[in-house]
Amino acid sequence: MDETVAEFIKRTILKIPMTEMTTILKAWDFLSENQLQTVNFRQRKESVVQHLVELCEPFSPLSDTQVHRHQKMWDVFQMSKGPGEDIDLFDMKQFKSSFKKVLQRALKNVTVSFRDTEENAVWIRIAWGTQYTKPNQYKPTYVVYYSQTPYAFTSFSRLKSNIPLLGQALTIASKHHEIVKMDLRSRYLDSLKAIVFKQYNQNFETHNPTTPLQERSLGLHVNMDSRIIHENAMEKERVQRVTQETFGDYPQPQLEFAQYKLETKFKNGGILAEREEPLRCLIKFSSPHLLEALKSLAPAGECRIPKLFCSSGSCSQGNSYLYHLYFPLLPDNPRC
Amino acid sequence: MDSYDAPQVTPRQSSSSRPENYFIGATPLQKRLESVRKQTPFVLTPPRRKIPQCSQLQEDVDPQRVAFLLHKQWTLYSLTPLYKFSYTHLKEYSRLLSAFIVAEKQKGLAVEVGEDFNIKVIFSTLLGMKGTQKDSEAFLVQILSKSQVPSENREGKVLWTGWFCCIFGDSLLETVSEDFTCLPLFLANGAESNTAIIGTWFQKTFDCYFSPLAINAFNLSWMAAMWTACKMDHYMAATEFLWSVPCSPQSLDISYAIHPEDAKALWDSVHKTPGEVTQEEVDLFMDCLYSHFHRHFKIHLSATRLVRVSTSVASAHTDGRIKILCHKYLIGVLAYLTELAIFQIE
Repeated sequence: MDETVAEFIKRTILKIPMTEMTTILKAWDFLSENQLQTVNFRQRKESVVQHLVELCEPFSPLSDTQVHRHQKMWDVFQMSKGPGEDIDLFDMKQFKSSFKKVLQRALKNVTVSFRDTEENAVWIRIAWGTQYTKPNQYKPTYVVYYSQTPYAFTSFSRLKSNIPLLGQALTIASKHHEIVKMDLRSRYLDSLKAIVFKQYNQNFETHNPTTPLQERSLGLHVNMDSRIIHENAMEKERVQRVTQETFGDYPQPQLEFAQYKLETKFKNGGILAEREEPLRCLIKFSSPHLLEALKSLAPAGECRIPKLFCSSGSCSQGNSYLYHLYFPLLPDNPRC
Repeated sequence: MDSYDAPQVTPRQSSSSRPENYFIGATPLQKRLESVRKQTPFVLTPPRRKIPQCSQLQEDVDPQRVAFLLHKQWTLYSLTPLYKFSYTHLKEYSRLLSAFIVAEKQKGLAVEVGEDFNIKVIFSTLLGMKGTQKDSEAFLVQILSKSQVPSENREGKVLWTGWFCCIFGDSLLETVSEDFTCLPLFLANGAESNTAIIGTWFQKTFDCYFSPLAINAFNLSWMAAMWTACKMDHYMAATEFLWSVPCSPQSLDISYAIHPEDAKALWDSVHKTPGEVTQEEVDLFMDCLYSHFHRHFKIHLSATRLVRVSTSVASAHTDGRIKILCHKYLIGVLAYLTELAIFQIE
């Protein structure tokens, strides 16, 4: 193991208070029970740390990141194959060696370590150096690549200059042709995954509510005029149904930021009627929990929920994993 | 009885002699509110404002001199007229304020080791920063750190800047006696603690009162429309709006940026009266933006809170912060802010 990496592990573990040491080490889950039992935690802290570092020898220090993934901001990259390229069988060993080679050829000083996980994903940790400086172990970039998909998630890095190289390495190693950065960013990796892999239920054809709407209490006053109750109830029911259809019953993926580019013609009466060019707009939504915030707007009657992450039906076929963040025009809804 | 047909501003000897009665008929908006307060019938005329133009006086303003005012974030306050302020005593004010600041800091309220007490205060006038000749001369106060090396004559670093001005403040001027100097708009850049100390000194010395100047959504919309209406040779920034949606449990911010040429095209299509901006045009401009957004996202922005507007001319935040980006329309922007300040004073 690289000297600087060992030093890094040592410092990380030293930061943990002794009282929490066993709990955290268990949570990290990269040392087995047996290994943990060999460590005498009643020693002086330095000795404990030394022993742990030795045990870490065969592993890379990725686990702390896996546990603390929420502290990083994640971006999503999508790769695509060229036209007419065959889909090769994925070879993990070949991917890793190719990835490492690309980076090491470009930058003499770079530390790359890998860790496989169950979901056909590989966690990659990259510590960047330059021609003259050793890799900085304290500001690594993490990449999670799901080999069965064209998606890779990278932790937001201030070292913007390394991103093109990273993209190149990913593309070449995974035998793709192109890579683009998607307009999605979040602290919650699982949420990004849910959205990108379309586990997130937002298609009303597939959604079947398990309890009929009428059974849900709407909490209306009893002594109001019966006609008024009926009207409100209809409207409330409608709003709830649309919310249901769009968001589903499940807790929302925790998205913090969404951005849309619009290039659409302005249509409102005679204003700008002669103008051929569209209005160029950039809309940004941000919130600690974006989808929950939008969902909560519905019952207040303030918005009819848009289908934000519209897939326009034609996904999961061939290369069309595309996420339409260029928001298509909604047709006028005849029901309302 | 108070009759309402005279829009002229004359101090009235009313039984209550409250200061508000001295400011009747300043702007149409104030007229409206004044009439509501007095419960007299008033025919509603839509407020109009002139589109900022390059005024004659502004031609005299040296761009180099005022360059430091641009691209800086200023926190806004309204200020009541200063009693017995004299432009000939600026050196003395510098000295007094310096001493006051050092005394305040040494009071040990904020014990910061290594706090630099080597400061210098400079009062200076800002020539040309006025709307009409009647406006009082604008002046600037700066706190500089004294150069550590005594042999060098160079000015130290500017730690805090504040300036006082009055642009087209006729309505206020006509209602105060000669002992008062009217500079209703105060802009500050720098540490809040310094602003507080300096504010205290001014209030004690000139019997005046500072009040933070917030900008509500109504005025932000006006600013957005007026600044979009300004003719620009080239655009530096997109026209951007920021709304804050108070939904629970989390807040939601929506930023809507539109290419400045497209915003201008939209405005030109809405604008009918040459040289002026009317309430209807502002409303229509905003409605167009709302409807375009609604068409795509089905969210009614009009039901949310407009928090910030930003154009190539200037940007303004509802908390009373402003950044002026364009030297050409500096006076125009300040004129609107002066109007808001005067309105708040009353």
